[in-house]
Amino acid sequence: MTALRRASKFFLPFGIFILIFLLHTPGNSYASDIGNCLLCHKYAGMSRVDEEGKMRLFFVNESIFVNSVHSKVKCEGCHTDITEIPHKPAKKVDCLVECHIVEPSTEKKFSHKDVDTFLAKSVHGTTDASGKPKKYVEDMPMCKDCHDEPLYRPLSFFKKVRPGISDAALGRCRVCHKKEDFIYRFYNHVTTRLHKSRNPLNIAEVCARCHDDETIVARHGLSTKAVFSYSETFHGKAARFLDERIPDCLDCHVNKGESVHQMLSHKNVQASTHEYNRGKICSNIDCHPGASPKLATYGVHSEFSLEQSPAQYFFTAFFIILTGGTLLPLMVIILLDLIRRFFPNATIKGRK
Amino acid sequence: MERYPIIKIKDGKKYFFRFTLNQRIQHFILAVGVVILVLTGMPLKFSSASWAPYLYALFGGIKVAPIIHKTAGAILMILFFFHIVYLIYVIRKFYIAPIKKKEGKLSTVRVLKVLADQPLTPNLKDAKDIAGLMKYLLYMTNKRPEGDNFTWKEKFDYWAPFWGMVIIGFSGLIMWNKELATHILPGWVLNFSLIAHSDEALLAALFLFIWHWYNVHFSISVFPMGTVFLTGYLSEELMAEEHYEYYVKVMKKAGLEHEILPPHGAHGHESAEGGPSS
Repeated sequence: MTALRRASKFFLPFGIFILIFLLHTPGNSYASDIGNCLLCHKYAGMSRVDEEGKMRLFFVNESIFVNSVHSKVKCEGCHTDITEIPHKPAKKVDCLVECHIVEPSTEKKFSHKDVDTFLAKSVHGTTDASGKPKKYVEDMPMCKDCHDEPLYRPLSFFKKVRPGISDAALGRCRVCHKKEDFIYRFYNHVTTRLHKSRNPLNIAEVCARCHDDETIVARHGLSTKAVFSYSETFHGKAARFLDERIPDCLDCHVNKGESVHQMLSHKNVQASTHEYNRGKICSNIDCHPGASPKLATYGVHSEFSLEQSPAQYFFTAFFIILTGGTLLPLMVIILLDLIRRFFPNATIKGRK
Repeated sequence: MERYPIIKIKDGKKYFFRFTLNQRIQHFILAVGVVILVLTGMPLKFSSASWAPYLYALFGGIKVAPIIHKTAGAILMILFFFHIVYLIYVIRKFYIAPIKKKEGKLSTVRVLKVLADQPLTPNLKDAKDIAGLMKYLLYMTNKRPEGDNFTWKEKFDYWAPFWGMVIIGFSGLIMWNKELATHILPGWVLNFSLIAHSDEALLAALFLFIWHWYNVHFSISVFPMGTVFLTGYLSEELMAEEHYEYYVKVMKKAGLEHEILPPHGAHGHESAEGGPSS
């Protein structure tokens, strides 16, 4: 009995550990996790303080990850310096690395290098037209300054009843394609790109990280805190109420048919926002068809500022003065009237 | 006008005619319309406020609330045009036509004089009454000004929304039809329209909810609510308090000189405005 008790004392904690381990192991670990990285990275508290004293979280939420655009890329595809488990501190991911996915139209290994080429020539590139590094080059965005792990936002265009995956459309895929996982993923891949992957508020928030930063705005000589001034317009306000039909920063600042990475300065004659081209932005068929090019002279980024928009500043000031000048005297009368009611017949001595 | 006797006696109490049914319906449409416009407009003006999404959601959010706002706005614009036509009709029928009958053709100066003598046209007595009220409120006298048919408060209540309707309605119409408007006007007019529309709307809303509602709802003499906007008639006490000069005139005309109440300043309790006028 004593030996049995001793044995049970030894095995019980071990048994509990095994049980917890089994209960925590996902029923079906995701296929791209060939290296079984989630064995450790599935734990929500997995973190450490790095050499710079920053708290780093290494937790990977599997349910989010499997719905993200990179879910078919195996971990080692991006974290190329990790070759063994347990591993040493990993380097930052280089988004331009060639990953194991083969781009089907060229059958070449896939990479984001083309995006980098676009970005280099854009207003957000690190060098100017002559190839010299720009001033404050550290302010120019890199991939991860704007992008987090994007999630699929599949489109349901079957009778447009609800967002999400359309079972009716999936049924058509199944006629030819047999592998369920492929059907699901391909549907997501294609339909996500048929509409905006983020809502206008998300886009504006991404741009605001730099374009509403007063230091960055000042040192680059920008005329406005762009997202702040946008949020004062109907478009910005509707975006705040999660309207997805409303234009965000990219709808005006990116030429139609081009990618956000090709955005140009408004001084560049090829930019959609250049004064020669601006007229076409608002009147395009998706926004205000039939509008005059003059509509684009609307000040999207006007601020209540004497330097930036003096006429609007004085116009607004007039209404502020009118409001104060009307309401304050009336409120004084109300207050005096309320007090007067306590002393209906009182007067200053000698008066009637 | 004969449908509305100037003094009505009910249960031994006198009630004084203020507003026709037509005017009361106009006021009702205006009041409901303004409240809807404020509730569907202010969440947009203050879109970053914590309450804004909840209030907006009550009206169907960004997809439906703007439609409600535009519908209510269009109704008020129609009401405004109706009111202008109504004004012209009333002035012609009850003021210009009788003079025409007596004197023949009217000169422009004579017509302008008729307009200047309209009961709602601001005049020197209003300035005197404001000064008189300030004297009373600052304890320099215990006599309140004796108001005419329409006091300066009522004229303010009428002309403030009148000006507001023009500014807010016109700027709203430009923003609603921006595609058409910018064929004629430059795009920056939209910036000024937005400022005028939203800032004037805030002024109008605060004016109505503080000043007008104080006078017709929260003031001790009418709390919780004056009923003149429903019945069209004002009680004798309230009439004597705010419109004493007019009250005496009406009582004398009706041959009730001996029943005239003393001016409110002479007796104890004070009170304020009895009903909305706009």
